[in-house]
Amino acid sequence: MEKAKISAYQLFILIVLFELGSALLVPIAIEANQDAWLAILIGMAGGFCLYLVYHGLYSYYPDIPPTEYIQKIMGSFLGKILAFIYVLYFIYLSARVLRDFGEMLITAFYWETPLFILNTLMVLLVIYTIRKGIEVLVRTSELLFILIILLGISVLFLIVVSGIIQISNLEPVLEEGIKPVIKTTFTQTLYFPFGEVIIFAMIFPYLNRPKKVKRIGLLAIGFSGLVLASVIAINVSVLGVNNINRSPFPLLSTIQTIEVSGFLERLDVYYILITVIGVFFKMCVFFYASVVGTANLFKVKESARLSFPLGLAILILSITIASNYSEHIKEGLHVITLYLHLPLQVIIPSLLLLIAFIKNKKKKSKQSKNLFPKRKYRLVERDKK
Amino acid sequence: MFSFLKRKNQKDDRKIQEKNNQIQSNNRLPNLIEISLSKNLEVIKQKTGNSSDIVIRPLKIGHNSKIKIAILYVKGMVDNQSVNDFVIESIMNNQNLSEKLIPQDVLEVLTEDVVAVGGIKVVSDWEKLFTALMSGETITLIDGISKGICASTQGGQRRSVQESTTNVSIRGSKEAFNESIETNIAMVRRIINNTDLWVESINIGKMTKTEVSIMYINGIAKNGIIEEVRKRLKRINIDGILESGYIEQLIEDQTNTTFPTIHHTERPDSVAGNLLEGKIAIFVNGTPFVLLVPALFIDFFQSVEDYYERFDISTAIRFLRTVIFFISLVGPAIYIAATTFHQEMIPTELAIIIAAQRESVPFPAFIEALIMEITFEILREAGIRMPKAMGSTISIVGALVIGQAAIQAGIVSPAMVIIVSLTAIASFATPSYAVAISARLVRFIFMVSAATFGFYGVILVFILLIVHLCSLRSFGVPYMSPLAPFIREEAGDTIFRRPIWAYKKRPRLMSGQNRVSQGEDQKPQPPRTRIMKNTTNMEKGERNES
Amino acid sequence: MNHKWILLFFIMTSTVFISGCWSKKELNELALISAMAIDKNEEGKYVKTIQLVNPGNVAGGLQGGGSGQSPTVTVYTAMGDSVLEAHFHATSKISRRLYHGHANLIVISEELAREEGITDILDAFERDPEIRTTSRVVIAHHTKAGDLLKSLTAIDRIPAEKVNGTLQTTERARGESMKVTLQNVITTLTSAGKETVISGFSIKGDIEQGKKMENVQQSELDTTLESDGLAIFKEGKLIDWYQGDMSRGVVWILDKIQQTDVILDWEGQENILAYNVLRQKTKVSADTTNDLPVITVRVRAEGDIREVRSQIDLTDPYEILDIEKELEKEIKKQLENTVIRTQQNKSDIFGFGEVVHRSDPEKWKKMKDDWNDTYFPNLKVNVKVEAFIRRSGLRTNSYLSDMKQ
Repeated sequence: MEKAKISAYQLFILIVLFELGSALLVPIAIEANQDAWLAILIGMAGGFCLYLVYHGLYSYYPDIPPTEYIQKIMGSFLGKILAFIYVLYFIYLSARVLRDFGEMLITAFYWETPLFILNTLMVLLVIYTIRKGIEVLVRTSELLFILIILLGISVLFLIVVSGIIQISNLEPVLEEGIKPVIKTTFTQTLYFPFGEVIIFAMIFPYLNRPKKVKRIGLLAIGFSGLVLASVIAINVSVLGVNNINRSPFPLLSTIQTIEVSGFLERLDVYYILITVIGVFFKMCVFFYASVVGTANLFKVKESARLSFPLGLAILILSITIASNYSEHIKEGLHVITLYLHLPLQVIIPSLLLLIAFIKNKKKKSKQSKNLFPKRKYRLVERDKK
Repeated sequence: MFSFLKRKNQKDDRKIQEKNNQIQSNNRLPNLIEISLSKNLEVIKQKTGNSSDIVIRPLKIGHNSKIKIAILYVKGMVDNQSVNDFVIESIMNNQNLSEKLIPQDVLEVLTEDVVAVGGIKVVSDWEKLFTALMSGETITLIDGISKGICASTQGGQRRSVQESTTNVSIRGSKEAFNESIETNIAMVRRIINNTDLWVESINIGKMTKTEVSIMYINGIAKNGIIEEVRKRLKRINIDGILESGYIEQLIEDQTNTTFPTIHHTERPDSVAGNLLEGKIAIFVNGTPFVLLVPALFIDFFQSVEDYYERFDISTAIRFLRTVIFFISLVGPAIYIAATTFHQEMIPTELAIIIAAQRESVPFPAFIEALIMEITFEILREAGIRMPKAMGSTISIVGALVIGQAAIQAGIVSPAMVIIVSLTAIASFATPSYAVAISARLVRFIFMVSAATFGFYGVILVFILLIVHLCSLRSFGVPYMSPLAPFIREEAGDTIFRRPIWAYKKRPRLMSGQNRVSQGEDQKPQPPRTRIMKNTTNMEKGERNES
Repeated sequence: MNHKWILLFFIMTSTVFISGCWSKKELNELALISAMAIDKNEEGKYVKTIQLVNPGNVAGGLQGGGSGQSPTVTVYTAMGDSVLEAHFHATSKISRRLYHGHANLIVISEELAREEGITDILDAFERDPEIRTTSRVVIAHHTKAGDLLKSLTAIDRIPAEKVNGTLQTTERARGESMKVTLQNVITTLTSAGKETVISGFSIKGDIEQGKKMENVQQSELDTTLESDGLAIFKEGKLIDWYQGDMSRGVVWILDKIQQTDVILDWEGQENILAYNVLRQKTKVSADTTNDLPVITVRVRAEGDIREVRSQIDLTDPYEILDIEKELEKEIKKQLENTVIRTQQNKSDIFGFGEVVHRSDPEKWKKMKDDWNDTYFPNLKVNVKVEAFIRRSGLRTNSYLSDMKQ
């Protein structure tokens, strides 16, 4: 753990950029057809619950990262294995994001360039940033967030002005009933992107005001959920369900449809900007968590030293993860949600929270006899209020 | 209130300085001044290599002119009039003096009565005497006394206070600093008439012994930062400080960056304004450029004039400057990226025009841009170094070479010329030369990235640049604050310039405890009632149409 | 440590320099395609015609005024068994890399559209990341698609621009043609409740004459390109052409009219009033309470009187009301004609199916499969028009009313 402090506002921005990062890139929730936005909103509600679970664990152990408190909860041996699995999971997710992004660039803009090169550049940038530390990362996010907001607003403005939104494409609402929407939520949107906030458990200990974590986190998830839902609603209303189902990168197709007064068209560069920035932060957060987690698990003092080897691992993993785009997307949206996300984002954290709760209750009953309770206990007490 | 503390500090400084000096000079100089005048003069002549600009004027005074004294000064460093009128003449004509018998009395009378100059001090060791002599004071040595009297007669020809040439402004004080540190400090004092404006001086440079002063407002500047400045200045141990740039390079936080982390200015009002925000000014003798620390990135886009104009206008201008900075950074890069990677993003008509222009150009766009940029840099460099009379030649040659011949020869396309010259002008429109020059360097990185990876490369380098900027600190203050970390109350003075009455508090990261900068309710409010409105000096009927 | 960094730096920069430039393409090394056309020849092969811009001749000016002597575009044709194969064959004829980024027009021949349908040929266009989905699609009427690209045009130097411009102008000023993008075509092709409509274009005059520079060097062009009606598709095949008021009816019901004019008869005199629609809003709704849905088309138009050739008292509000009524009748008649003809064609180009889908998804599921053939032709369509006359230009009554009879 480096000595760094980040503020609540910075956490907010980081969560928002993280959530939007690759979710703007790939088609999510398309199984719900024109109700995709609803699936996102329900997923967001689920995301709130998951966040509360992660926050609950944090409030029991406010000073140490998950890789450490897992060991406290599950015991050293089991905890270490579990923590290791989590680190691997973070590395894998980071490689997935990188692949998503590389695929987008190649498909849409750089079809003659090898994936390896495009990914290498991104990884180098991420390594550079992580070596500078988390404070630099959050400060960067503050600056680029402004840019993203400006871009977002201007794209929205252009879409509205060019008159390509057809609200009728969003109708009929709930054509097949609520079932497919719920199904999409629980097979997809709950975990990607909302469940992925589990990564922030690695960052919570840096917060300068631990009390605000809960509120800010929920706000950030709510905000990003709303943004995501409206982006997807706009995508559907511009392109129509059929086209969305056939586009590997719906937002790109939407932006390409913009035509304002014969001059403001072909705004692909907007899209590149938004996605590069979003993916950069998502990568950074995953990568940072992997680096810090590994360092914490294996007691490496200078965590920055790990960034090169881990960066290389992620780079290679991102290329070997799937042999083609269809495989990659299929894995991402259908396979790993059930076999990785569900246990690692939902089941295990809930179990951990349960065990932590029981353990602390025991401690509490012991300590209630004690006149001078320990500091940690008091912290728990304060947060519960 | 805290002034005794300050004096103590200064004393401490001086002690340390003395110690340093002693260590350096122990082996070469006899420590103390001798009693015999002739011996002393011998030492001085030997020490200065009998330099021709040192004037030694022997005199005989006292009863029957029995006491020998000598007056020494360096030609050109002293104000001739004060030496002649207030030192030599008053010594020669003083009645009191002619009655004295013993040298001890003479010393007393001289210091207390005769020499009509403000600053008088008596020194007894050589080191101090030489420092005083070399800095333009007039020394009086008396035979039989192992002390010297230093009268501050500094003067001589210095550049007078003139208009600023590097920080030109339309509104506001026209004065600019000159090369004399005393004048410069006084100019700031004239603006801030407050006892809390504190100045500390040390001499830096083994050979040059340049006077360097730090100035801050006690109670506004953060103590930690002041301490840090002192520490860094004391660390410096090099031969000479010729300009504040030396200091700048020796005390900056990080050297692996092209961006300046220390601000410099030529304007007293700018220094005063920054002092009020809690910054610390570093004056260096011999240069009109005063350093200001800590410097934020955003400081380089602001000029004092922003605060003199009304806020809406200033805000618009600051927006423009941001745009200008972006153009000067990525102008050519975007052109290269668009014409070699993302042709579909150019509107069709424009694409056809550019394609037509490029038909005969034998180079790739990147090489073309590089040629133009380098040509421009050559012209610019030549323009700066050339005598002024030749300036117009440069512009004629430049205009012909860039504007006409290159296009007609088909070596570059007109569109590229437009881009490069726009970028060039943009880089001059940035208020700070320091940051404009770093933008010029970074521009080439952008160009290379654009030529290899198009917009993807440009965006990656852009993020890299922002990460880099965010990782910088200036005297512990994050370089990109108050934007990153975002401080809401101060972000109003960045790209925006909020109204003066909205500046309620001083910057958090730079100022001490006392952060309230103005009273409540500074927003001007016109009188509400009708009666108040009519209490103008208008005569009856003046508002009628004539 | 330092050496390591330097080494790393060199490795990185070298990879960058070796690797970069894959996707690099200088603007002047590209053959900018302005339009593409697809025909089918007698052997059943696709014939692809591409129109390349000669930038030097378009931009003119600087490089010694090359314009005027040589044409602004060059056209190549190539054959192949698929669209893409034809494209690859074309590359053997052109010295530069073909670039689709600015291709704004795709022309499909009437013959191909009628016989084989357009469904098979569009995938290649949609898939290519270089080709924009906002490219316009037109059908060549009475001519081969390739010929449409070969004819030179005046004013607009590039024929493709001329075609697009004309489409846009007629859409805005008259509403007889529509801007149809590649994306629109594909959306309607895949939609069960809406069929495809594409604007038509034709050549007036001698095709061979149109290829020559002399054609544009005169005040009245021998050969011109003209917007020519709407092509009506059913399941991807061209089945009918609508012209004039009929095609405007389609555009009107699709709510794409921006401005148009309606000529009225008044008190027995024919065509003496011209009404200019400046604003209109058309809403289509469906009532699905019965087995067969009932469609209501509500039109609300606002506009000015632009020409009067009789002694109508335009200062009288009651008179205006009467004219409005007459207008409503006229517009309604035109729209109904269009609907009736379309129902006969059994092709739901108005997207009534989608309206039904939206208002009653359950019922739509049952009707979806034979919507075009069974349900659509038998739909009851109510057209309700509200027309408003707001102003009458710079004069109230025509001078005709003051003239002595």
